[in-house]
Amino acid sequence: MSKAGSTQPSERHLSLLVTVLAFALPVVFVLVPLAIFLVYSFFSVDQGTIIHAPTLGNYVRFFTDPIFLPVFWNTIVLCVSVAVICILLAYPAAYFLTTLKGRWRYALLMLLLVPLLMSYVIKIYAIRSILGLNGFLNKALVALGILEQPSTLFVFNMNAILLTLSLLLIPFAILPIFLSLERIPQTLLRASDDLGASGLQTFLRIILPLSLPGVASAASFVFVLAIGDFLTPQMVGGISGFTFGRILYSQFGTAYNWPFGAALSVALAIVVICAILIGERFGRNRGTSI
Amino acid sequence: MNQNTDLLTLRSVSKSYGPVPVLHDIDLSIRDGEFLTVLGPSGSGKTTVLRLIGGLEPLTTGEIRLEGQDISRMPINRRPFNTVFQDYALFPHMTVSGNVGYGLSVRHIQRKEIARRVAEALELVQLERFADRFPAQLSGGQRQRVALARALICQPRLILLDEPLAALDLELRRQMQEFLKSIQREIKTTFLFVTHDQEEAIGMADRICVMQAGHIRQLGTPHELYYKPNCEFVARFFGENNLVAGKLGPVQGELRPIETALGRLVCSISDQPHLKAALDGASAFAAFRPEALRLAGAKDNDNRLSGTIADLAFAGSSTVATITAGADNAAQRLRLRMPSRIDGSMLKSGETVSLSFAPHEGHLVLA
Repeated sequence: MSKAGSTQPSERHLSLLVTVLAFALPVVFVLVPLAIFLVYSFFSVDQGTIIHAPTLGNYVRFFTDPIFLPVFWNTIVLCVSVAVICILLAYPAAYFLTTLKGRWRYALLMLLLVPLLMSYVIKIYAIRSILGLNGFLNKALVALGILEQPSTLFVFNMNAILLTLSLLLIPFAILPIFLSLERIPQTLLRASDDLGASGLQTFLRIILPLSLPGVASAASFVFVLAIGDFLTPQMVGGISGFTFGRILYSQFGTAYNWPFGAALSVALAIVVICAILIGERFGRNRGTSI
Repeated sequence: MNQNTDLLTLRSVSKSYGPVPVLHDIDLSIRDGEFLTVLGPSGSGKTTVLRLIGGLEPLTTGEIRLEGQDISRMPINRRPFNTVFQDYALFPHMTVSGNVGYGLSVRHIQRKEIARRVAEALELVQLERFADRFPAQLSGGQRQRVALARALICQPRLILLDEPLAALDLELRRQMQEFLKSIQREIKTTFLFVTHDQEEAIGMADRICVMQAGHIRQLGTPHELYYKPNCEFVARFFGENNLVAGKLGPVQGELRPIETALGRLVCSISDQPHLKAALDGASAFAAFRPEALRLAGAKDNDNRLSGTIADLAFAGSSTVATITAGADNAAQRLRLRMPSRIDGSMLKSGETVSLSFAPHEGHLVLA
């Protein structure tokens, strides 16, 4: 114990413990499992037992089998579409929120976020019953005369997954967009008016560019959450709505091929990490923070 | 430009926020090409005046005319005025030239023309080398100059400046004052400058409009405000002053006596018809500046006072003496400012002194 240190030994031990914990928790619960997945992806399975000998077989299968790459690609397209739909719906909602004054603004924001507190499964059931053959959507469309017969277009296929994921994930898009819009100082908008810009010009040249970081994080949020979801496709996707998440799930749950499942997870993880990095890249203010 | 024609006229302009009135019946004319400063303590309504002219807020009553044409209801983006905001309000995602050219590009002016005028404006504010920087990469003074260039590139009839120097340190503020004044002389545009700092106002303005509690108290050149304040507020607010309360005596040509607790003081009333018209016995103040008071060399007609020195404060080029004058029950503190001397003044605290000031160096304000 050095005399120079003014802290008590027990205090120093405590702070050491806290430091170790702060580093150990993410290592043990995030990095180690990821590493185990990575290692497993190089093993293989024979008659239900895992053979612990390194092989590239799982990756060769992923890239050569005609099933996996197309599903992988379709799933990415699906999730990008979900992100786009969420942004298109969330932006006007978030913009509207920022035009409200004081208490109303946050009350309404809370209302929009309340669905996050509900059980995921119950929400999917609810949406499924809305989209179904006798559901609210079909009844409304028939009543309005847009459809003659109830349509099966809305449930147990890719459309259903797209609609359901979009509905479920919109709150995750509203929040970051709202925050980035709210951070724009009002005087910038006044300055734009003062310099002769019309309302549309102010929106396109000041508000929109300054809210893009929020849009980028919203998009990467939604994309990452959508691509990792296997429950929604399972419940509303039917036979034709087959996504990468469902394949993954079946490798672990039914096929009992953990090494191949691990290889597919690694492929998914790479996409997710790329999405997060892209979101982060555009989420920053290009070195021009206010 | 003719300094004698009115560019902008405010006629009985009032403004309330809900039930709270902030401006009462303001009348103000801004002359073409002048540097007009609106000076007042915080809460006086000076920024509101600027916001009403700029179109940032609607009027409650009254009208604003630009060369005779009523612009009270003209939307902000069509008014030929530009504002330099207190916190500059530069667009953080645009470079310096993007910011400066913004007012032109929203008017769909050709790109080449914009580039030429941006270069011109940046040269004027001496920021040519910073055209491609972002606002976050500039110092406070540089941002200030970008904001100015952005406002003047649209060739507005009037530039509105809302305490633009408040965030700068003292030295930079001095430089920017000179800089603003020289730019204003060069481009000959009318400047309306809002500040609470009277030194800033004296240093830059052609005319100063003093505001208090939503009223205009006085409008005039710095010299007029300093030597002929028209009310107690201006006399106290604008520069240091000694005010002694009393009752007016009969007019004696360009002079008028006032009976005070310190005796009879005779002050000048030239060019101030309202003081000539005031009734005998009306309550008023004799006002005289600390530098007008003299310790020696009194002439026959000078006003004479006596008192004891309570405090001496050395302030560099000058020394300020605080003097208690008058009887104990009506004691009054006076300030005297005299040039400092290297060998120190002969005065000591507690010493009794006799003071004087010439009648033409004193003035009167009605209570």
